[in-house]
Amino acid sequence: MRYILRLFLPAVLAALPAAAATVPELFTERLKSVVAVEFFVQTEIERQPVTVMGTVIDNQGTIILPAAAILPGIPPAQLKDFKVYRPGSTEPANAEYLGPDPFTGWHYLRVEAKLRPGLVPITQYAPISGDPALSDEVWGIGLRNRDEDFMPYFLSARVALVIKLPQKTAILGSDVASPGLPVFNAAGQFAGLAQSSFGQNFLLFSRNQHATPILLINVEESSIVLLADEVLPNLGRVPSSVTGRPIPWFGAYGLQPMDPEVAKLLKLENQSGVVLSDIMDGSPAAAAGLKERDIVLAVDGQPLPRLKPDRVVVGHFGQQILRHRPGESLVLTILRGSERQEISVRLGDEPKLAREAERVYLERLGFTVREFLYGDGIMHRAKPGEQAGVMVQFVKPGSPVATAGLRADDWVREIDGEEIKTYAQALAKLRAIEADEKRPEFVLLVSRGGETAVLRIKLI
Amino acid sequence: MLGLLLLAPPAGAAMSRGFNRMLEAVVRIDVREIEFDNGAKRFTGGIGSGVIISDDGLVLTNAHVVNPQAVEISVTLANLERVGATLVGWDHWTDLALLRLDTAALRARGLGFSAAGFGDSSDLYAGETVFAVGTPHGLTRTVTRGIISNTNRYFEDSGGVDGHETGAFNTWLQTDAAINPGNSGGPLVTEDGKVVGINSRAYIGAENLGFAIPANVARKVAAALVRDGTITRSYIGLVPGVLQDLERFYALASNTGMLINRVDPGSPAARAGLRAGDVLLTLDGRKVDGRFPEQLPPIQQAIASLPVGAKVALEVKRGTQTVAFIVQTEKLESRVGEEWAFEKWGLSVRKVTRAYARENQLLDDSGVIVLGAQPGYPAAEAGLARGDIITKVGNAPIAELAKLKQVYAAFAAKPEPQLVEAQRNRRISLYVIKP
Repeated sequence: MRYILRLFLPAVLAALPAAAATVPELFTERLKSVVAVEFFVQTEIERQPVTVMGTVIDNQGTIILPAAAILPGIPPAQLKDFKVYRPGSTEPANAEYLGPDPFTGWHYLRVEAKLRPGLVPITQYAPISGDPALSDEVWGIGLRNRDEDFMPYFLSARVALVIKLPQKTAILGSDVASPGLPVFNAAGQFAGLAQSSFGQNFLLFSRNQHATPILLINVEESSIVLLADEVLPNLGRVPSSVTGRPIPWFGAYGLQPMDPEVAKLLKLENQSGVVLSDIMDGSPAAAAGLKERDIVLAVDGQPLPRLKPDRVVVGHFGQQILRHRPGESLVLTILRGSERQEISVRLGDEPKLAREAERVYLERLGFTVREFLYGDGIMHRAKPGEQAGVMVQFVKPGSPVATAGLRADDWVREIDGEEIKTYAQALAKLRAIEADEKRPEFVLLVSRGGETAVLRIKLI
Repeated sequence: MLGLLLLAPPAGAAMSRGFNRMLEAVVRIDVREIEFDNGAKRFTGGIGSGVIISDDGLVLTNAHVVNPQAVEISVTLANLERVGATLVGWDHWTDLALLRLDTAALRARGLGFSAAGFGDSSDLYAGETVFAVGTPHGLTRTVTRGIISNTNRYFEDSGGVDGHETGAFNTWLQTDAAINPGNSGGPLVTEDGKVVGINSRAYIGAENLGFAIPANVARKVAAALVRDGTITRSYIGLVPGVLQDLERFYALASNTGMLINRVDPGSPAARAGLRAGDVLLTLDGRKVDGRFPEQLPPIQQAIASLPVGAKVALEVKRGTQTVAFIVQTEKLESRVGEEWAFEKWGLSVRKVTRAYARENQLLDDSGVIVLGAQPGYPAAEAGLARGDIITKVGNAPIAELAKLKQVYAAFAAKPEPQLVEAQRNRRISLYVIKP
């Protein structure tokens, strides 16, 4: 009889699937898909620890972190010592940073083999079918900080609203998970990923000041969930390079949404548009013949939808571009004056980004010099031919250059009266100055917000 | 002996006759002026001081006391009689304004006044006793005493006179005579009652750090304002910097050179090829010495006093070379343009000037800047906000303020939704102003 029972029991369980598992059981099981991640941002003089939460997406130990986990300007070389922890564990496993995905913004990691057997990818669980309905209850996982061994805890909330921002997002009545961690329904189906939370307006009352409006952002828990439909198709976008390349490049600056009143006046009801404020010299947009003030109405024949708030249409347009790869083309329907036109744009390769730029920290002088990028030229309104000089990336407080008034983001045009044409030339000059211990001073000509100043830096 | 004593009374017993006569020439000025700040046309009031400088009723005061937006100027004479005045002209660069008393009204009422005389401000020395006379905090005819603390103070402020530039072309007298709000425009005088300066500003929160425009500057400005109603200056677009002890670095002969800290983009100097970092050696063949801040205003003044459209020869040191340039001057403009309010829209604006366009790296000087949008009115409802630059309404490009006035007049006659194009930080946005 005992044997028979033993044989029977699993069969009975299989016949009663998810429904049989209680939420606490599901919670314990789903913990295998979440991790805490620690790393350091190693800058010139600081080593800043960061803790974020991640979700496991495959059996190779690949983990995604939310876009906000790493600031976009930080070069990958400054990201150090990624460690992955299971919930409730103090045992770290090493991980490798794979890079960011330009479309989703997610950062990808791969954890070392020893931790992988205990992990279950989020794709293992069936997703919910369709959008969650208003008032549906969902639950998620929160992880405490390191001093509490990343202890997991349970959160739940009801769906308040489903909205396109521009991706389909559920906004819940209260916080449901740590940002970056998955959310499920009562049956354990995957509902989506918690995003960074939105700010909430509060009034602050104090003894002296009455009712000061403040914005509070919960960094530990979030009520914003990117729905499974938007998550699952993009999990395969594992970056092929640590910089996130290839990244498509369009080349327009200052994309502004068209508000409904303007659309109505232009007889474009029920759709929206994006105003191109400036077309960057030498960009794919310029090569295609786009001009400033053109209003983009449709991409590849699909009208830009009216999304709320107005600003979201800019994000939508950006995603239409980022869905493509460099070299691919898209057809824009634009309004120029009162005339509609179709313009085909062949996307290029994004110019070198700040995180990819060459840079060197000159410790004795007290600053980091970085090569001048296309993007710097845009910021400083330099014509492409005028792109010379080097940028100041960082200034060490109290250093000789800081005392002389040099600041981060200054644009160095001349060193010791010599015009700087290339990064190599600047670096050679600065290294020679740094190496010469008898040298009493040197002089920089820098531009800052359209103004130029001569700075005299005393070394002795 | 007795006679001599009478002629020279012991110090402190009484002020000199000249001093007492000067007191009769000091006036209080009440001004009502238009302000275009918050999307509306509003009236504000202010109190300042002034000094009568001629028998035909010219009153010298500060540009920040009376400016062209004044709609009502009321002067209280020493004999406590009030009389109207009109603005002859103003010059925010030196913070001076010249008024003319309504002498017809004075004659009709049988009232007289006295005028003060100027002293030579170049004869002043640090430590010399001076008095400030004026209306601090509305306290009419207040005399405070102090000394000249510095005869040659450099003090440039790009927005010091109601947002207008000041101080580039003159240095200031510094005094420790108490100067408070309301003293502005009143005279700084010597013991014998000679006007040696026009009090104009003080550090708020500091102890006894007051500043006055030297009389020698004020006399020239007043004469030009009487003659032309305005001061015309030349501009080439150089922003100077102090060379201080960088002489050796630039391998300059001693006591030579003015560092060019910036060249305004698109200015005559920029078009001629001058660059920031160049060191100006000579101006029309005359040696330039700008090593210290207080040496900069005379050099700026030398350029400003050239005729508009004149060609000036500059010699600059660039690296190891000496390079010569010819630059043609243009008329100096303030960055603050004409202001106006469109009341039905709840929108107040200011014309973009060439100087504003250069400062903000705009492509040209077309358009008007939004100064304010009154909440609840059409402009604010459309989404326009302070700092936006309106460049187009409907199909009409707005290059000049007059064009927007025209569009507004059409709107007022026949209200219809207007498509407005505006820029902010090079971002172009579209708005709809609805009736």
